[in-house]
Amino acid sequence: MDINLVYMVLFLAGIIGFAALNAAYLVWVERKGAARIQRRTGPSEVGFAGLLQPLADGAKLMSKQILFPDGIDKPLFMLAPMFAMIPAVMILVTIPFGPVGFGPFADFMLVAREMNIGLLMIFAFASVNVMALLLGGWSSKNKYAVISAARAVSQDIAYEIPMILIAITIVMTTGSMHLSTIVESQAGGFWNWNWLPLQGNLFGPVTFIIFFICSLAETNRAPFDLGEAESELIAGFHTEYSSMGFGLFFMGEYANIVIGAALTTILFLGGWLSPLPASIPFIGAPSVVWFLLKMYLLIWTVVLIRWTYPRVTLWSLLNLAWKIMIPFALVNLLGSAALIKILPMLGL
Amino acid sequence: MEGEFQWRMFLKGVNVVDMSVTSIGDLLYVTLFFFGGLGFCLGPFLAVFLLSPKKTRNIDNKTGQFIECGMEPIGSAWIRYGVVYYLYALMFLAFDVDVLFLFPVAMAYNQGQFAGGMRDFIEVFIFVGILSLALVYAWKKGVFKWDRKVYQNQ
Repeated sequence: MDINLVYMVLFLAGIIGFAALNAAYLVWVERKGAARIQRRTGPSEVGFAGLLQPLADGAKLMSKQILFPDGIDKPLFMLAPMFAMIPAVMILVTIPFGPVGFGPFADFMLVAREMNIGLLMIFAFASVNVMALLLGGWSSKNKYAVISAARAVSQDIAYEIPMILIAITIVMTTGSMHLSTIVESQAGGFWNWNWLPLQGNLFGPVTFIIFFICSLAETNRAPFDLGEAESELIAGFHTEYSSMGFGLFFMGEYANIVIGAALTTILFLGGWLSPLPASIPFIGAPSVVWFLLKMYLLIWTVVLIRWTYPRVTLWSLLNLAWKIMIPFALVNLLGSAALIKILPMLGL
Repeated sequence: MEGEFQWRMFLKGVNVVDMSVTSIGDLLYVTLFFFGGLGFCLGPFLAVFLLSPKKTRNIDNKTGQFIECGMEPIGSAWIRYGVVYYLYALMFLAFDVDVLFLFPVAMAYNQGQFAGGMRDFIEVFIFVGILSLALVYAWKKGVFKWDRKVYQNQ
């Protein structure tokens, strides 16, 4: 058995630190991005370029009183923020960030625990997030929160299906749910990555875009933020949450964005592999730097989309999933399945 | 030199991905991370408990009121609402359970004894075809139409 307690605790601390740091500074990136795109004023007062703003926000949130409205379902009300945060931490157990790539520990894989059923486990815990939205909205006993909970749940379950169907297509072409194996199967340059149909994924680029859109919708991000549409529902399911209850929902949302981008990177963009063949020295070497580069590029796209597109209506949102994405994902699944069988027959 | 070598072996030994490794290790990690996440959730609340004011001025008992932009809330929020969400949830239920069955199929597809031949593809085609009927049925029933429903004789 290769269990080492020191190691587990080190990884736990590292991953929680990573999640917290990302939550704090993605808010900063987002507010700066909003300021640039929409001619607002971003954080600029606290520290250089507002870099200490997340710390100030955190301190402010922690020094606020927790309010409970009269007549709410108190146990569920207190449980809901934890449902938003804990699964996100648990998903990060199995996400491989790749080998360090340089220095004395070049081969050292940055992953807490690889699992055979990694992909399935990620989807299993990711769907717990729906519970957080439902419990938070329902137990608040606020009309806006209840409407928001109904919307968010119907949205999240609708977009989960095309996401899983596309993941199944990837599993089918790779024959593994082990995330490292999926990444390694894309080795040899960016033309071997899963977003191109060379691996057997029939509509590669389109599935990549659908998966990315689904990860946007799953995290309730604009233009799919029907769950917390500020102009109609105050703040949606976390309207009644003050202090750290709100803070946990917020951190959970950003942790989920990181997970969504990381998963898209692993499944479609070759994870920690370099876009060039490994035969090229230095640039061609697989490294965690590539992983983070791709992941943050995707996250920046998410931020860019949030501040440029208007919010969709609820029915067009749901119908986009049920009428377009799910049929397309099914066709892609069947097409890829046929392609996998036909290609060996043609001797390819 | 010896020490460094042992340190590197120690690092590598922990991270060897062994496909035959028992799932006990996986469970151990997941459990530990569950408690880690729990601690990460409860820690800030401890800080809130220490830092926040225990009781603010409660003017006209407003702090216990639901936020409706200053209005007095009329009636409870726990009422019946649109059945549309329920229909979508039903469809999801039909789909998601079936989709889960596709994971083992995808794992075994074109591997080992199943390699080559079109039999597996035809089976998957039939399965997905029947699965899609749920969608076709809902589509025909008009679940995706969000027309304003007017009831004349109520």
